Amino acid sequence: MDRLERLVNLVAALLAANRPLPREELRTRVGGYSDDDEAFRRNFERDKELLRQMGMPLVLEPLDPLQPEAMMGYRIPRDRYELPDPGLATDELAALHLAASAVAVEGAWGKSASTSALWKLASATDGQPPGPSAAPPLATSLELPAGDVVAVLFGAAADMRRVRFRYRDEVREVDPWRLSYRNGQWYLAAFDHLRGDSRTFRLDRVQGEVEPVGESGAFERPDGGAAAPAPAWQLGDEDEVRATLFVDAPQADWAAAQVGEDAVVERRPDGSVVLALQVNNRDGFRSFVLGFLDHAEVLAPAVLRDDLVAYLTPFASESASQ
Amino acid sequence: MTRTAAHDRLGRLLAIVPWVAARDGPEIAEVCRRFGITQRELLADLDLLFVCGVYPFTPDVLIDVDIADGRVWIRFADYFRRPLRLTPPEGLALIGAGAALLGVPGADPDGALARALDKLATVLGLGAEEAVAVELGPVRPETLERVQQAARDRHRVELDYYSFGRDERSTRIVEPWRVFNTQGQWYLAGYCQQAGGERLFRVDRISRVVVLDEHFSPPEAAPPAAVFHGGPDDEVIILDLERDARWVAEQYPNEGVVEERGGRLRVTLRVSERAWLERVLLRAGTDASMIRGDPAIRSEAAARILGRYLPAPAGSVS
Repeated sequence: MDRLERLVNLVAALLAANRPLPREELRTRVGGYSDDDEAFRRNFERDKELLRQMGMPLVLEPLDPLQPEAMMGYRIPRDRYELPDPGLATDELAALHLAASAVAVEGAWGKSASTSALWKLASATDGQPPGPSAAPPLATSLELPAGDVVAVLFGAAADMRRVRFRYRDEVREVDPWRLSYRNGQWYLAAFDHLRGDSRTFRLDRVQGEVEPVGESGAFERPDGGAAAPAPAWQLGDEDEVRATLFVDAPQADWAAAQVGEDAVVERRPDGSVVLALQVNNRDGFRSFVLGFLDHAEVLAPAVLRDDLVAYLTPFASESASQ
Repeated sequence: MTRTAAHDRLGRLLAIVPWVAARDGPEIAEVCRRFGITQRELLADLDLLFVCGVYPFTPDVLIDVDIADGRVWIRFADYFRRPLRLTPPEGLALIGAGAALLGVPGADPDGALARALDKLATVLGLGAEEAVAVELGPVRPETLERVQQAARDRHRVELDYYSFGRDERSTRIVEPWRVFNTQGQWYLAGYCQQAGGERLFRVDRISRVVVLDEHFSPPEAAPPAAVFHGGPDDEVIILDLERDARWVAEQYPNEGVVEERGGRLRVTLRVSERAWLERVLLRAGTDASMIRGDPAIRSEAAARILGRYLPAPAGSVS
């Protein structure tokens, strides 16, 4: 019997079972396993690993719930296996096909994740998927990098399950609320149990793997709010001041695009602009301003002007002292 | 997580069976179209199903597959009545792709894609509340639209462009080959007449675009554009970074990082653009010291900026 046939029978047995099936019973009920005990054990472990990789909810339970010490068996609970009908209409299914072909979500699993996701949706729904040639080519291509860390957090956010990972050399346990991608980086907004407060994590700084811990449905996601952090000049707990920044014409459009049109308080005839920003992190504000080199100037308040001057003055005399 | 052939084929089979079983003999061609597979692949999968079932594998508990007149029936497979739920990578692949496409300026926020994502998020347990947001970088929609249109119609464009690395503004004639988004930013790749070669332009730094009435022929296969590059001719700069300046080594491609005592990093960079280095040095401040390179780079930049503040605010004069 080939392995695929054995796997189909194994999944069928686990789904059809109305009680947990011990390993030895699966050996007889599935067929296709070796008579050699050691080879059987090895193959069974490999099959189990494959089913788990495919996302099957394979559970190991005591045969008798009243005697947890007694023999254990496997089953796949249908309610956790079965995909409900998302009720996608034909145009909605087509839109997802188009998105999957236009956007390269790059991860270790490559293109296959969107392919198998679309198989499942084609199966779960009455909508008619588009044919292979239906998607019009886009003039644009998009790339969205997403590794295992992002995928595991996505799953945990969906299941509302707590996760554990290393971040800045500390082990964090967090409730993952929301993911967002901005400036080429993934961020996670989460409740951090170590700090007892909500925090934003930059996912490229997660050290090693993310490990789900505990049960699903362990928390509720609060309403609203994006996961991406506020701009650097607002990431602080200093007293908020309103800063005005003058930006020369050549950089004006780019500056306005960075902060949003709402922050533009004046456009001058020569093309230069004045921006108004609420600042509660002076270091972050200074870093933003330095990005314009000598094409921007802090107009007000005096305390921020002075801060920039005081910061730059030692550097200006640097080479003279060397 | 690498996937095997067994993984892929089992996944496909477990999606096809419930759909066929729930219907009264759909056409084989329709099944192939729906699941994007060839007839040969489908028949091979069905062939395997013939012998599958549950214990004791007597005819009454084997899956029954009938093929007749170009149609297919699957019976006695009640345990496969629904497809398997999406895995996290699968959910992320679709939700992420959809959220990215919705982030393209001009996308309809109430269109078919937005509705599909809502429905998908609901079955995944994410709720209608947005749990994944994708921002593709700030651009002016009309600028993006104009360069995309020009790339489609193969029209040359005239750009006013601000080069961030060189800190210069220039006007260029460009053949727009393709527009794309990578690492959260929009780019235009094309042939630049002024430079006499292929160049990459950040769309958010294009302040003016005029579509010219001149056609061009794009190359057969546009070479993949490398967004970041350091050439062998670029100057070698070595910096020592204290802990608070580690972002320099994390954010930019470099030629090597050596961890030194006390968490200090020694990073080697190839730098072609002076303004870029000025910003890095000014931002990192005393947390970065230059081991190799011209020490006057930072002091000159600092003096230039200070020139705006002393003696009077220039903004109030102009």
